Amino acid sequence: MTAIASGPVLGGLLRRSVLRLRRMPSVLVPALVMPLFFLVSYSGSFDGLTNVEGYGTDNIVNWMVAWSLMMAASFSGSGASGVIGTDIDTGFLDRLLMAPSDRWVVLAGPLLYSMVRAAISTTLVLIAAALLGADFPGGVLGLLSTYVGCAGMALAIGCLGSWVMLVMRDVQAQALVQLMIFGGTFLSIGQVPVDFMTGWLKVVARYNPVTFVLRLIRQGFLGPVAWDTTWPGLVALAGMTVLFGGLALRTLYRYES
Amino acid sequence: MTAVAAPDVGARDPAGPALAFRQTLSLSRRAVISTLRKPAAFVPGLFFPLLMAAVYSSQFDRVTATPGFPEVDSFLQFILPATILQGVAFGSTIGGVEMAQDIESGFFDRLTSAPVARPAIFLSRVAGSAAFAAVEALILIGVLTAFGARVSAGFGGVAAIVVISVFLAVALGGFGLAIAIRSGNAEVVQGIFPAIFALLFVSTAFFPPSLMKGWFRVIAEANPVSTVIDAMRHLVIVGWSTAEFGKAIAVLVAISAVSLSLAYSQYRHRVKA
Repeated sequence: MTAIASGPVLGGLLRRSVLRLRRMPSVLVPALVMPLFFLVSYSGSFDGLTNVEGYGTDNIVNWMVAWSLMMAASFSGSGASGVIGTDIDTGFLDRLLMAPSDRWVVLAGPLLYSMVRAAISTTLVLIAAALLGADFPGGVLGLLSTYVGCAGMALAIGCLGSWVMLVMRDVQAQALVQLMIFGGTFLSIGQVPVDFMTGWLKVVARYNPVTFVLRLIRQGFLGPVAWDTTWPGLVALAGMTVLFGGLALRTLYRYES
Repeated sequence: MTAVAAPDVGARDPAGPALAFRQTLSLSRRAVISTLRKPAAFVPGLFFPLLMAAVYSSQFDRVTATPGFPEVDSFLQFILPATILQGVAFGSTIGGVEMAQDIESGFFDRLTSAPVARPAIFLSRVAGSAAFAAVEALILIGVLTAFGARVSAGFGGVAAIVVISVFLAVALGGFGLAIAIRSGNAEVVQGIFPAIFALLFVSTAFFPPSLMKGWFRVIAEANPVSTVIDAMRHLVIVGWSTAEFGKAIAVLVAISAVSLSLAYSQYRHRVKA
């Protein structure tokens, strides 16, 4: 049997997911409601944090928007795992794996889709933040670093979620992925800078890769873009993607129905 | 063959008040035991608030020195009421979920066709949720106290917080029961969770209103959850206050009257159907 070139298969899988999104735009809602709710409630609730010296901004929305964007991107990433989980449940994954194409394409399609979803949710959260009064001193480069950070986070979480889904073989395992997202984002600089923290959390947050990605996403809201803030975020994203993507690929190549 | 009389579906209490009370107690015990047998249902409701308390007390301890922040020993002491409120609020949906599961499994129909007092079936769920809330509150207070959070009002304050928790579980649990009885679907009941989350976050649970601004402060102060939280917080950081305790109970009794009326009307409708 002649192998099919990977490009058209990848395009087909991406088109399939995007078509699903166009037919049911409501699938975006759960991934947007929580981040937008957190943006509004945390900005309102924790406004007093800006009175404390060293917070980094006098506009709470500038700080909280990065956390909201991070969550929206992460939930978009978990959308990829939802696609794989559903395909496992319906048996479609088995049929895909029997097709004469490279196995990695099966994973890459939903991952690309998660990045498309992240681009949409990032744009919507940015609009909400602007309406709430966020500033953007970072300009075009800041915007670029925000989009790159969010797309990269969607990709990394997509890899993590796909790996979990391939191991658990149950679409309900998405709840576990969401729990990991909450854990990763709560134990980071989502709400306050590292210097505000005390005890165990200060150590965990300092080395949590999510912290570096948050700095990458947030920098455009706090000031001009700096390479010193950019490269650690990119390295963290690359590290998470290689680690979780490698695990997901390994599980996929060993996958038997 | 002797004909068996069909149970009187419309009867309010076919068994007499004393028997009805004993049946309510038995069914309440069943409700508590069935909850305790499913740790997956109640452990997240204890774990998540404790995790948030740990994270927030580490993140926001510096904020307690800010002008306008109430005088507290630590942020952990400030967040103690919010932790209890979260745990009890999340746990209050369990009664509704289990009622829906009883409906799904057919156990509810068997109960209503048995010579069991009708109110007992309904009240036992409410009583079960209330008892569970008291245990949850005591566990959460115990853990946070072990980590240094102090209840200034002493044992009386702890007892008052437990009483407030019980009323809170009844007030919120009533909505869960109404949805459970109406839908007969456990998943639909779990849909109440985001609403509880929203009520908590748009309140004074996590930060003092004196450090909030604009429309958010107006909404947070008007939120009835804030009245309950403020009363618990007074007991924790200031000391005993009959007025604050009374305000919280009054608010919760008013909410309970609405939620339980709603639930009981759904219950009567389902039993008659």
